[in-house]
Parts: sequence; structure tokens; C-alpha cells
Amino acid sequence: MKKVININFQGQVIAIEETAYELLKQYIGSLKTYFSREEGGDEIVNDIECRIAELFGNRLKHGINCITDEDVKAVIDSIGRPQDFDSDYEETAGTGQESQSSQSETGASGASKSEPWPSDSERQSLHRNSGDQIIGGVCSGLAHYLKTDPVWIRLLFVLFFGFLFWVYIVLWIVLKPKMLESNVSKRLYRNPNDRFIGGVCGGIAAYFRIDSWIPRVLFLVPLMLNMIGMISIFPLNKIFDHVGFNWNINSGMIIIYVVLWAIIPVAKTVKQKLEMMGEEDYIRSIREKVSDNVASSRSRTSGEGNLRPAEERKEVYYTAGSAVKTEENGITGVEEMPPVPPVTERRTEMPSQPRRSGCLNALVVLLKIIFFSFVGIFLLILVGIFIGLLVTGTHLLPLKSLFIDPGYETNLLFTSLGLIFLVPVTAVVVWIIRRAMKAKSRPAIGIVASLLWIAGLALTGILSARIADKFSVESSSERAVSIAPVTSGKMYVEMQPYSEDYAELRTFRTLYGVDFGINHEFDELPYTTINEDSLLFDNINLQIGKSNDSLFHVRVISAIHGRDLRSAKADIAQFSYEIEQKDSLLLLPEFFSVPVEQGFRNQSITVEISVPVGKTVEMSEALRDYKDNRPPAVVRKRIRNYSRNTNYVPVDVSEEGGVYMTLTTDSI
Amino acid sequence: MRKGVLEYCILSIIRRSEAYPGDIIDEMKNAGLQLLEGTLYPLLNRLKNAGILTYQWVESTSGPPRKYFRLTEKGDEFYVLLQATWNELATGVDTLTQKEDRSDKNQSE
Repeated sequence: MKKVININFQGQVIAIEETAYELLKQYIGSLKTYFSREEGGDEIVNDIECRIAELFGNRLKHGINCITDEDVKAVIDSIGRPQDFDSDYEETAGTGQESQSSQSETGASGASKSEPWPSDSERQSLHRNSGDQIIGGVCSGLAHYLKTDPVWIRLLFVLFFGFLFWVYIVLWIVLKPKMLESNVSKRLYRNPNDRFIGGVCGGIAAYFRIDSWIPRVLFLVPLMLNMIGMISIFPLNKIFDHVGFNWNINSGMIIIYVVLWAIIPVAKTVKQKLEMMGEEDYIRSIREKVSDNVASSRSRTSGEGNLRPAEERKEVYYTAGSAVKTEENGITGVEEMPPVPPVTERRTEMPSQPRRSGCLNALVVLLKIIFFSFVGIFLLILVGIFIGLLVTGTHLLPLKSLFIDPGYETNLLFTSLGLIFLVPVTAVVVWIIRRAMKAKSRPAIGIVASLLWIAGLALTGILSARIADKFSVESSSERAVSIAPVTSGKMYVEMQPYSEDYAELRTFRTLYGVDFGINHEFDELPYTTINEDSLLFDNINLQIGKSNDSLFHVRVISAIHGRDLRSAKADIAQFSYEIEQKDSLLLLPEFFSVPVEQGFRNQSITVEISVPVGKTVEMSEALRDYKDNRPPAVVRKRIRNYSRNTNYVPVDVSEEGGVYMTLTTDSI
Repeated sequence: MRKGVLEYCILSIIRRSEAYPGDIIDEMKNAGLQLLEGTLYPLLNRLKNAGILTYQWVESTSGPPRKYFRLTEKGDEFYVLLQATWNELATGVDTLTQKEDRSDKNQSE
């Protein structure tokens, strides 16, 4: 006596004995595990289930009440157990490479019988793996020997480069190359289906079975923090007392990414994708891909009309299979279709280029040549400009401190420079590489690159606004230098050369003796003292005026630009310019010095010598430049004020109440 | 069975007329070639994935709808190639074995 149950099997209602059902369930389970390693395995099992349902249907139609154990066994015999068609399968599976490797993956389903002998001999000896190599296949061979993921070995070699380099070279020479099958079931690959740059993050995510945004964010967080620091919502630099800290992490992350990019292979074949994410996940990812294709498949199924939902699912699987297929670029097609498969070559042979007439064709080719040569020239010019800017930049780098405060502004400068110059270069390089690899074009890359570039421009704008802000206010202050009365009728003014050595800031002019025109602006660049604690300026003006008494007077007017008057005044107080008098000899120092922290704020010193009537002043030739200098506007105002004080201007008050001023002739 | 021969047989059956796996099994059986269905399905799947075969669903009276396979254009080309290879092999084997005994060839198949 046996219990009979009704099951819904592939849309058929089938009465089946419970024991027979268990048998069937077990059998289908074994089929599922067996075919899971093959592409489209689900579809195969589904087809087989359909067939079984049909056979059962036939049995039931012949007047039998229910499916018995014997019926199930008969069906199983006709279809075969996995271990039965294993040998058959292996032969038809082509190169045998796939089946062999998948056996070591899934030890189940009776495949273990053919496993031991080839891999045994391989395991004993160390080889270079010519099947999976970045340089010489040494790491991958070692990994095979140790039964680990080659990525870890490669990482080890990169980390201990200095020491292991020689080991690598020696092994490269000593070991013989050999095609080795991977003997680990889970490996770190770069994921070509889930990538922004190289698919490294996608691969890591697949390896650890997490969402791919997690590693991405981890890679980007330092960069983001730094960006936030730039925009200075909160002063990160103060939290991390070392300013370079953020940058170290940033560049570290980038280096890590690039290294991983280099040492992790990309998952190309289906087998590698399975190794990358595990079978379950891979199938799920296919299913997700399918949802993109659902629209097309639905239109197809509706064309066929009378299909039930169950078939729609199958249809979807079909499209999934083909989608994966086309992506693989026919590589697996070659792998799996053993006998003379020139199929893929044929596909590439017939590009569907429309035929044009000869004349038009020649014209198009000509236009293309012209276009590309223009592009080439343009690129060359760009590269030239870039290199030129880089060279200039490195030479102008010392000047940076004159305008830009360390810390926040320096970070701003480097970020903006990096974005403006490195982003286009990287974008072009990436484009060329992708072009060479014939990867699908990704507009996202271009958009991101241009956004970054624009961000760089914006940062430059912020930076220049900040620098301009430092020159927004002009301030001056004066002090009288007390000098002893000069006995003779003549005063000699002499330059006192700076007694110490000083360092010049090197620009093009001083380096190469080349004058590019732009360097005029840098003529009045300051010098730094030897121990670099103060800047030396020679922006000194000499003014000779008329004294209103019988004595020589000397005034020193200091001027500076600054962010606000208070800071400008504070900076002026730090000027150091000591005029020395030796009887009738007045010694003007060659430079005036300011603390190096001030930077360049268009500092200037104006020395005004007032000469009493009847006495003369004689100036040494060395001071000619000083005499010719034009004092800054603030200072000119002061000089005029001074002269106004000395000359009383008669004021007439007219009857209308207006005030008219008549200047006397002897005003300056 | 040797590599490729099975494909050749199946493709030739499908080339004659659209066929569903049950037909193929029957025909192979009639021709005296034993074939496990468990081998046939993955093979068909691979051929389909390689773009050699395509199929359409046809409602069946005796069960779930069936997949009827037919050759694609590429499949036709592939078939011609297989045929050429097979003929080469067959004539080669023939000329070799004809000198001795004809029965050898049958066995090898």
C-alpha cells in the first residue's frame, strides 16, 4: 500500500506515488548540481523536466492511474544518471579543460573518479603558470603549488618588492612554463560587469559577497574627506595636525587601487566569473541582467501568443543565456564547440560596413586622415603645453609660499592643479587604453572627468579670489628718521650693500637667461635670507623734496597690501629698514626685510629726503634705480599731503559761497 | 561517441526538419545509436548558445510545450564544415580499412 500524491510538474498535474516522488526529487536534485556548473544549466534541467513531464503524461494517458517507482526508474534510465553520461559528457564537452577544472570545483556528482592522476603530478612540482600570468606567471605558479589565490602571492611580491624581486627573477629563469588549471574554487577577479574604472571594487565586492558600493566608498572616503577639507566646512587640517596626512592617504588609496588593478586578472570566461562570485550569486546576477531584457523578451513571447507564465520564465532564461554569450565575445563559444570552430573568426570577418562608391570612399578616407592628423597635432601641442607648464610649475613652486598660506590654501592649490591637469591627461590615457582594448564606450567616464575638471576650475577660482583678497587693502605708515644735523652744505646718499649672502628665487630668467616677457612681473621678486626666516625686498623708492626749515629730514614710508587694514598695519610693523648716518653720509640699506610668513604683499619702502634751501644732496649711482622707482599710490598721496602742509594755499571765498583754490607755483 | 560525430548526427536530423529532443532521441534509436537524453540536452543547449541552433515553443497535446529546434544560418555553415570533416574522416578510414576488412569501420563507429 502506497500513498499517492498529486504534484504540479512543469504545469502538468501528475499523480505519483510518494516513494516515486522522492526518487524523482532526488534525481532532479542530482541533475541540478551536475548542470549547475555549465552555462545555462538551469535551462537544461528545465528541458529535462519538461521531457520527464511529457513521458509521465504519456504513461498516464495509457490508462495507468499513477506514476510508480518503476516508471520513474524507467525514465531515469532513459535519460541517464549524471554519472552515466559523465564520460559521454566529458568527451562532448570539448577541450575537456572546463570539465576537468569544474570537477575539482564540485567534488560531487561522481566526477571525482577521473580527478586524481593528472593534478597529482602537477601538485608535486613547481611550474610557472603560462595560463595565468601578469609578467612571468611565477606568482600564479606558486599559488597553484600552495593552492591559494594568485592575487595574494602577487600582493606579497609587490609589498616586499625589494627583496622578492630577485626571488622572482630567479624563479622566472629556473621554472619551466606550463599551462596550469586553477585549483581554488574562489578567486579574486576584476568584475567586468560591475565597474567604474577597472572593476577592482566590483571584484572585491563579489569576492566578499557585499554590495559593490561598499569598497568603492572605502576607496573614495579619504578623497571625499580631503575635498570637504578643501571646501573648509570644518578645518580637517586642524584635526590632523600634519597637513600632508590627507594627501598621504589619498595617494596611498590610488596606489593600492592601481596595484590591485595590475595584479588582479579580469574575469573573462564564464568559469572565471563563477570562481569570482560563486555559483549562486552568478546565477542571480544573470537574473538581474535579465530584468533589463524583460521588455524585449515579453514582446517576443506575446508574439508567440498562447504561452503560459512558466514558459515566459524560460524564455527569459534563454535571453539571459544569449546575453551572457554575446558579452563573452565568443570566447567560450570556442571553448565549448570543439570541432573546427572557425565561427568566431567568420563573425569578425564580415563587418557590416555599407559599400560606398570608390570616389566617395577615397574622400572619406582622406577626410579621416586629415581629421586624425589634426587631432594628433592638437594632442601633441597639448602634451607640449602640459610638459611646459609642469616644468614652469616646478620652478615657480618656491614662489607659491609668497602668495599662498600653508595648509588650507596649499591643499586647495594642489587639488585644483591636480584636477585641472591630471584629469584630462588621465581621461585621454584611459580613452586610449579603452580604445585599444576595444572596450565599450562609457559616457559616464567622460562626464565624471569633465565634472572633475570643472570642479578644478571652480577651486582655482576660489583660490584666486582668496589671493586677490589679500591685496584688497593698501595701507602705509610713516616714521621720521632722526638724523644729526649735517654740518657741510652737502649730503651724500650711499647704498649699503647687504652684507650677508642671500638666496635668489630662481625663475626662468635667472635659470636660463631666457626672457619670456612674463618675467617682468617677477623682476621685483624678493630674495630670502640664508636661513630663510625673512624675505628681502628691494622695492625701495627714493624721493627728494624741499625741506621747510634749514635741516635735512628723512622720512621712511612703508606700504603694503593686505586683507584688511588691521593685518596690514601689523605687517608693516614688522618691516625692518634701518638707515644709518655717518656725519654727512647717509647709508640706505640695499634691502628691507620682512618675516617670511608675510609672503608677497607688494611691500614697498619709500625714503623721502627733504633738502633745505641752499643745500644739496648727492646720490650715488647705485641708487639710480631707487630714484626712478615710482612709489605706490598710497605713498604718493602722503608725499603730496606733506607738500601741502608746507605750502599754505590762499583760499578765496566767493560771494556765491563756493570755495575756489588757487595753487601757488612752487608746489611740487 | 567521438567528439563532433554526435553533433553531426543531431544537426543532420534537425536540418532535415525542425525537431524536438524526443524526436531526436527516437530517430537516433531507430538508427541504432544509443544516446542518453541527459547527454542530448546539454549538447543542444551548448549548440543553441553558440548560435548554431535556435528554437521556438510549440504547444503539445501530451504535455508541456516543446522546444522545436532548427538550424540558424551559422548552423548551416557549421553543418557544412562538419560534413566536410566527416567525409574526410570517413573516406580516410574507408581507404585504410577497405584493404583489410569492412567490418572494422562499423565497429569503430
